[in-house]
Amino acid sequence: MIILLRFAGLGLALVVALLFAVFVGDQGPWYFAWAVGTVMIILVAAAGAVLFDAQDGRDTSQEEF
Amino acid sequence: MDVYVILKLVWAGLLCVLLIGLGLMVGMDMGVGTLLRFVGRTDGERRTALNIIGPHWDGNQVWFILGGGAIFAAFPTLYATSFSVFYVVMIVLLFSMILRPVAFEYRSKVEARLWRASWDWVFLLSGFLPMFVYGAAFGNILQGVGYHFNWTGQYFQDNSFLTYLLNPFAILCGLMAVSLSVMQGGVMLMIRSENPIHDRAQYFAARAGLMAVVLFLAGGVWVRGMSGFVLEQGDPAMPANPMHGQHVSMQAGAWLHNYAAHPVLWLLPLLGVVCMLAEVALVLANRPRMAWWMGLGAWVGTIGTVAASMFPFFMPSTTSPDQSLTIWNSSASQYGLTCMLAVSLVFVPLILCYTSWCYYVMRGKVHTADIVKDTHSY
Amino acid sequence: MDLINPAVVDLSRFQFALTALYHFMFVPLTLGLTFMLAAMETVYVVTGRQVYKDMALFWGKLFGINFALGVATGLTMEFEFGTNWSMYSRFFGDMFGTPLAIEGLMAFFMESTFVGLMFFGWDRLSKPAHLAITYLVALGSNLSALWILVANASMNVPHGAHFDPETLRMTFDSFVGVVFNPDAQAKFVHTSVAGYVAASMFVMGISAFYLLRREHRAFAARSFRMAALFGIFSTVAVITLGDVLGRLDYEHQPTKIAAIEGLWHTSKPPYEPWIVAALPNDAKQESSFEIGVPFVLTPLITHSFDTPITGMIELEDAAAPRIASGITAISALRRYEESHLGADLEVFHAHQNDMGYGLLATRHAPNQDVTAIAPEQLQSVIEQTKPDILPNVFVTFWSFRIMVFLGVFFFVLFAMASYLSLKNQLERNRLFLKLCMWSIPLPVLATEFGWITAEGGRQPWTVFERLPTFMSASTHSMSYMLFSLAGFTMLYSIFIAVELYLMFKFARLGPEAHHQHDDGADPAHLSVVAH
Repeated sequence: MIILLRFAGLGLALVVALLFAVFVGDQGPWYFAWAVGTVMIILVAAAGAVLFDAQDGRDTSQEEF
Repeated sequence: MDVYVILKLVWAGLLCVLLIGLGLMVGMDMGVGTLLRFVGRTDGERRTALNIIGPHWDGNQVWFILGGGAIFAAFPTLYATSFSVFYVVMIVLLFSMILRPVAFEYRSKVEARLWRASWDWVFLLSGFLPMFVYGAAFGNILQGVGYHFNWTGQYFQDNSFLTYLLNPFAILCGLMAVSLSVMQGGVMLMIRSENPIHDRAQYFAARAGLMAVVLFLAGGVWVRGMSGFVLEQGDPAMPANPMHGQHVSMQAGAWLHNYAAHPVLWLLPLLGVVCMLAEVALVLANRPRMAWWMGLGAWVGTIGTVAASMFPFFMPSTTSPDQSLTIWNSSASQYGLTCMLAVSLVFVPLILCYTSWCYYVMRGKVHTADIVKDTHSY
Repeated sequence: MDLINPAVVDLSRFQFALTALYHFMFVPLTLGLTFMLAAMETVYVVTGRQVYKDMALFWGKLFGINFALGVATGLTMEFEFGTNWSMYSRFFGDMFGTPLAIEGLMAFFMESTFVGLMFFGWDRLSKPAHLAITYLVALGSNLSALWILVANASMNVPHGAHFDPETLRMTFDSFVGVVFNPDAQAKFVHTSVAGYVAASMFVMGISAFYLLRREHRAFAARSFRMAALFGIFSTVAVITLGDVLGRLDYEHQPTKIAAIEGLWHTSKPPYEPWIVAALPNDAKQESSFEIGVPFVLTPLITHSFDTPITGMIELEDAAAPRIASGITAISALRRYEESHLGADLEVFHAHQNDMGYGLLATRHAPNQDVTAIAPEQLQSVIEQTKPDILPNVFVTFWSFRIMVFLGVFFFVLFAMASYLSLKNQLERNRLFLKLCMWSIPLPVLATEFGWITAEGGRQPWTVFERLPTFMSASTHSMSYMLFSLAGFTMLYSIFIAVELYLMFKFARLGPEAHHQHDDGADPAHLSVVAH
């Protein structure tokens, strides 16, 4: 039952997000671009950091802080 | 009744709510600022007092900004004229207000004693002055302000700013607002502090409360003899244009006409006095939480009393009474008021929810020992 | 007769420019740093590595020092429309006040309430809850910018309002028109991502400082990496939106785009050069020298090869009939105010689109009264008013160029920074690190010049083609203005000194109290620090 509710909640959130995207994407394409772009920039920066950990992962314990 | 008239009334009511919220929440923080040097003798104690409102002052201050924004949106002519007419006073208010966020953020970032002592004076100044000006502004608009408009809608000032500052009734109103704020600040300190701050805050809160009652009653007596304004002719549904369409006369004691016509309004001043006295009693009985809610009643009573006596005036003009700003002639358009109302209906409940949640998360006593250890505290 | 004092108008403009430029020294950092803090904390929550929490805490502390001044100086802005621009506020407040109030309700309240929790709630909230708070602060500060720029865009491109002769002001008539004003959209994204660039440069520059001194290396190298990537994408977005804004100005504000490009005469496509440097002379209405790149201007502005762009001299000539028509409109409006006759209203309606140009003639009319212009004076008043329709070309031209040159420089810098960081070759390139460090103030400078371009280029109007700036100011005395200006200058000088002192102090100190920790990979250690 709880799983079903969770799916229902998730589905509702998706529908709202979709309606928002359609409306804002239609009326204000740059606003939409900002929302999508900001999320993308954050994810790219975060991925860069994780990549750093992977590149650097062998000897972090020795590293001076 | 016309939809436009209802909207104007609703917004006048919301403006009162904002002014009450401003007095209560911002006033409380200002009160703590005013009291800072008196409730805290050591640096640790003062930091404790600051950190009691630390997580909330910024959110509370938005009441002040929102007050300005709402007047701008709902009553643009009032915003444009009152802020300009009170120019020097407003600028002084602004200077003291902008010192406060800076003081919070910077005071405890440097160890030097002179540095911290200077910022403590800034807290006193930036707590006392804005509340004083806030009260004094009410004093001034009750007496009427000198201005007129030319045909394009440009205002012109007819009085010097000195008449707004060196004005006994305005000073009385200013001190009344300061008293309420000190009382509320003291109560907040009592809720979240331990001794010795707690007892000192109690001492100041009780005395400030009594002073507020005395000043409130004195102001009431004063208003009886004061020259008030009467709207002789003016259609509530008129287009919002202060240049023509109204006839206003000045009469002694006119500010009590609304009370004479509707005796039920006397409940407002009564509520104010009862709540102030109850707050003092609760402070002395060491029940600060209940006392805090009495503070709400005190502000509702005070602002409500002024609003009831002035209705429908916002800012009467002594030199050109027919151009006095009222609820009817200074509002935004019907469309603008509707939009703002829709937005408010969505966001105000949301704001109340998350503000309360923040207080809930940060609840509990603030200990001096923790504050001194924590490098991120104010 | 109540006359406008031009000196008071100039001082009001000077004070507004001073306080707005000063406010905007702190805003870009707030806009960008909040999202960078969110990105850092996201990595912390996902990977659980302590170093990312240290990053969020340390940059959060610098953010706090900056944020306080942003809030304090923002208060001034909220008040100044009323205290110094009374006529403007009354004339345009019905529409302009709404986005400002929504900013308070929707954005500023959220930002300010949650910023307290962000600083003080680390121990009281679960990790995901605190992360959510950080995102809300970031969203709040950017939504704040959104509503302010919606308001600002309506001054530049007054969509969603019309003049109402009954109330003598612009009446708000379309919420959607205001919010989705194309100028508002492009301006918001341009300004917000310019803030991202400023914040990236700030984090990158200070990290470069640590790398140069070989201090806090694990911390600094990660901060640098995140900032470089954040910066390169933001710079691309800033440049893209800058192009969009240029085209919108071309469509809606021809005087602004002509002044930006120093274009005195209508362009001759496709050869017309894009002027790289020139010395425009406002008094003579010509440029004393020009260097340009041929064939660039037309496609840059119009995205075509054959559309001419109207020059400033031609715009002045085109304004002459509008000034005459505007004077008729104002005279009819004044008669209507007194008589309320339908005939006067009809005359006004026929000419109302030119009303602003009529008001612009006020300065050259006898006794500053447009309605008192005698028929034989009309032509000379029009001739005198014509050059007033242009902004200051020298200022607009050069502030735009400084902004653009800096933008191109950021693009190169961030591209190199990203490359070197991804290759882990930063510490070998000490000169480059020094360049990053010294570039910290440049994005703020670029945003300031951007603001001067946008708002200086809007002159002589506060509401474009509706209300001239000189009519918008409050009718204060000189002594009032000198009092407030002296106060602002003194306070703001103290503030900036204190802010810089604290920024340097805490940046030098570096991420405190974490010197003993290792990277936080050890889970037992984590549970102690991040309960």
